[in-house]
Amino acid sequence: MKRTRFAAIAMIAIMALTLGALSSCGGQPKMTDTVTVWCWDPNFNLYAMKEAVAVYQKANPGVKVEIVDMAQDIEAKIISGLQAGGAGLPDIALFQDFRIEQFLSDYPDAFVDLKAEGVDYSQFAPYKVGPMTVGGKVYGIPFDTGSTGLWLRTDYMKEAGIDPDAYLGKNLTWSEVIALGEKIKAKTGKPLLAYQSDNFDMLRIVVQSTGGQFFKDDGSLNLRSEAFKKSLALFKELNDKGLLYQVVGWSDWINAINSDTSAGFLNAIWMVGSVKSRPENAGKYMVLPTPLIEGVPGAANASNNGGSSWYVFSSSKNKARAVDLLKSVWATATPDNLEFYNKILKDAGAMGTFLPSQSSSNYKAGDDFFYKGQALSKDFASWMANVPVLKYTPNYVPMRDAVAHATLNYFQGKLATIDEAIAAAETEYKQVTGK
Amino acid sequence: MKQKASFQRYLNRFGWFCVLPSVILFGVFMLYPILSSLYYVTRRWKGMSNTFIGLGNFIRMAQDKVFLSALGNNFLFMVVQIPLMVFLALVLAVILNQGIRRWKGAFRLAIFLPAVTSLVVVSVLFRVLLQENGMLNNVLLKAHLITQPIGWLNDAAWAKVTIILAMTWRWTGYNMVFFLVGLQSIDPQIYEAAEVDGASKTRQFFTITIPLLIPVILFSVVTSTSGTMQLFDEPNILTWQGGPANATMTTALYIYRQAFFINADFGYATAMSYVVVLISGIFAFAQMRLLGDRGNS
Repeated sequence: MKRTRFAAIAMIAIMALTLGALSSCGGQPKMTDTVTVWCWDPNFNLYAMKEAVAVYQKANPGVKVEIVDMAQDIEAKIISGLQAGGAGLPDIALFQDFRIEQFLSDYPDAFVDLKAEGVDYSQFAPYKVGPMTVGGKVYGIPFDTGSTGLWLRTDYMKEAGIDPDAYLGKNLTWSEVIALGEKIKAKTGKPLLAYQSDNFDMLRIVVQSTGGQFFKDDGSLNLRSEAFKKSLALFKELNDKGLLYQVVGWSDWINAINSDTSAGFLNAIWMVGSVKSRPENAGKYMVLPTPLIEGVPGAANASNNGGSSWYVFSSSKNKARAVDLLKSVWATATPDNLEFYNKILKDAGAMGTFLPSQSSSNYKAGDDFFYKGQALSKDFASWMANVPVLKYTPNYVPMRDAVAHATLNYFQGKLATIDEAIAAAETEYKQVTGK
Repeated sequence: MKQKASFQRYLNRFGWFCVLPSVILFGVFMLYPILSSLYYVTRRWKGMSNTFIGLGNFIRMAQDKVFLSALGNNFLFMVVQIPLMVFLALVLAVILNQGIRRWKGAFRLAIFLPAVTSLVVVSVLFRVLLQENGMLNNVLLKAHLITQPIGWLNDAAWAKVTIILAMTWRWTGYNMVFFLVGLQSIDPQIYEAAEVDGASKTRQFFTITIPLLIPVILFSVVTSTSGTMQLFDEPNILTWQGGPANATMTTALYIYRQAFFINADFGYATAMSYVVVLISGIFAFAQMRLLGDRGNS
């Protein structure tokens, strides 16, 4: 009996305590409003948003922003949330430019029209605004550029008896690059380019530099173009001449670059962070303009890979605040904001596409980490202006996968000719999309 | 009499009250999804909009080579990996049960550990080991067992081998535990009698151990079959999204990609799930029929 009573008292005490704790929690008046952001890559996107928030909080000290690193399957989580009418979604999310059209077409009412909220899009690089525009509405705040270049190890060039200075800053054609690669390979044994064999990015860079498109204006597949065939032929040549160091998987590709396996790679400005993460790379790399494919009209020594933008969900309970955060920091040219863009460029290699920011100091400064203190940002920014615009359409991902699969099978000889590879890609695309 | 009836009614009501939470949960999380899937399956889904297409999803499936080859991969993994794993698990269980006297616990733990390790973590390590210039190839080259590096992740056929090895690595220990328990329930006198009759260890294994373990083997095979039909993690992470070029694509992964990655087409994904469930059911039924009768006798 006694024990029961003790137990009862203990129960009541625990309940009282819990209730007290709960009420003290709920009783607190809501002074702060919290904005939640989903993105990925702590050293790049997450870092940039954190810096933006710091600027924003100077003027709005009460606002709390929670930035969540969604490394795995961010799109799958967002699709689940959208399918559930917005349940569990953050206020702001980062989308890759090539992914957003799929979401805008599948979930037309899910995002806030930021043009209606007064964002001035003439201040952003036009190629970034295109994919986020539907009808008269514009849905995102453009973030970084994926302006590309050919990254070369000058120490291996010297080892092969080639003077890097003769190439520094030069626009090359692919045949010149192949000749260079063969020389380096013969002397040092290093393949010219680290290549992720299950990935589409490098092919995309080459095709985009030719001004070629993967889709026609009506949204149907456009792989039978001269530009695409020439790009695929070039890849095959690189592969057959042993100029590609092949790895499977993204992290392994980064690993390959940072373990002296190749004499270079072809990718975008956002690789600065990964290259700088290894101190031994200091002074070794130089970056040349994206090589040109000869004989394709409209080709340029410039291309793009990657790049993302920020979006606000219509389901957000804190919509006004979320819009204000993006608009007043990312899209307004105040000295503080320009300094913010200037800082993330230096620290993370995150080059914004907000045009007023491109006159800041770090856009012009030389970078001692690179060969002869190359003014990397200035070069990438100047190439960015020449990037031919690529149309993504909502079906970019199935196209990307189908082409990557066909390319791999072509490399391994399972598909004998370019025409067969193209036909295989078309078939897979058709079957996966059900069109 | 009357009072007793009302008490019965009270008990009845009380009983219903008690199971109510689980009935509600079952209804919301099991019954409702199953019923609503009947609606989904007849539609072509695209984000928020959908259109009725009747049996269109099934017609599309029959023509979708990615789905069909994914199904083929499921069968291949099933036919090759399950017998391999079950046999290995059996042998290991017998060795642990009889052959080893010391460090038994440590060995048992070491063999079971892969089953409770996160594959996401392990696959990062595996991928480094399995690259063309990775450690495994280097070791094999140095030992002159191969002359060309093997494309464990890059070659269509070898990637399938990689998946089978990874699955075996992960699940052998798990199944071995069931066999260990089963072995302990076999009367040691049977082995003693066999010993007296002069039967070798191998003979004992095949004519005593295996027949007496048939119910456990059946359990292991049935659960492994449904596990293989749902194979997802290994091809998604280890060979990266069913790569190279869909060579290790499985139905579960393709369903996921159709729904949450490529198309947001929940109708097509649901229709494919129906087919997979049906096939799994047929397999389970067939296995019970084939092995079950012998197990009961």
